[in-house]
Amino acid sequence: MTDNNSPKNEHDRNHREEQINALLEGELDHDESEALKSAANRDQELASAIVEAYQLQRAMENVQLEKAPQSLRRRLKKIPQQDRPVFFQPRWAMAFAVVPLVIVSVLVLRSMEPSDIQVPTSSTGFSSAEMVMIEQARADLAVAFAYIDQVGVSTSLLIEAEIGGEMSDAVAGSIFRTIQGKKLL
Amino acid sequence: MSREYRQWVVEYQDQAWTLARYILKDASEAEDATQEAFVKLWNNRNAIDRDRIKPWLMRVTRNHCLDRLRRRRPEQEFVEYQGVDNDGPLRGAEQSELGAFLKSAIAALKEPYRTLVVLRDVQQHSYEEVAGVTELSLSQVKVYLHRARKQLREQLAEVRP
Repeated sequence: MTDNNSPKNEHDRNHREEQINALLEGELDHDESEALKSAANRDQELASAIVEAYQLQRAMENVQLEKAPQSLRRRLKKIPQQDRPVFFQPRWAMAFAVVPLVIVSVLVLRSMEPSDIQVPTSSTGFSSAEMVMIEQARADLAVAFAYIDQVGVSTSLLIEAEIGGEMSDAVAGSIFRTIQGKKLL
Repeated sequence: MSREYRQWVVEYQDQAWTLARYILKDASEAEDATQEAFVKLWNNRNAIDRDRIKPWLMRVTRNHCLDRLRRRRPEQEFVEYQGVDNDGPLRGAEQSELGAFLKSAIAALKEPYRTLVVLRDVQQHSYEEVAGVTELSLSQVKVYLHRARKQLREQLAEVRP
């Protein structure tokens, strides 16, 4: 590098940096670009600076956008829910939907206790009309339990999203055990 | 509206998080700052121009981060490099040693150089967007950015054979 070509002061150095960046950003027109390259042929320091700038630009491709962690993603997703009145939040709505279903199913189960069920007096026991009603009741129960099962799954997913898997298993599991205890599954 | 918000989360959470992580160098604080910015976005969702959501969110994220830095070290400028801890985006599944080196070098830059490099060179925002986020003029952005790049270039030259 000669004295004639070296930047004389801070202003010149800044101007040279501006030109190098503009070259890399594609902001120089053809004449400006050629002038800078021509200057670089005479000025070793400028040439090195341009090469280093290109190297940095390529190296920056190794620095990539980071993925937000799952914990943050969950927190961000919950922001609109936290803004709602508490009883309109989905987990509460689901909980309120489950309560009447559980009550109805318990009442239905009680009504089927052996003491309350008509004991057949013969091998067939029931009239054909009664058999139809029993079959209908069984079908209704199957539908009810399928619905409860679906609600249980949805609830457990919600709970899992809110407070984690362990509590979800505890709640969904208790419903499952109740139904199993009645030997209906 | 909630659907629109979810769309914003999907589109911008990584950018906001990355910026917060670089500025604060602490995963837990970066999560908090990013969440605060999104809460503010949700609360102001009706007042923000839909075309300006990203720069608005990035500006708010940065301001929350700078507030936290000021609270953390009130007697100092938030320019000293405290070192990069060994978790989160500044470590980890680096694609190369060069990438890891550059991340540390970017994290060591002073403000606003660090933010400028992250926004422009890592996240590829336009100069106008960077100016909007940092509340600097376009010419200031360019001047600061090539100062920042010059520092990075010099550090890179030192480690290159």
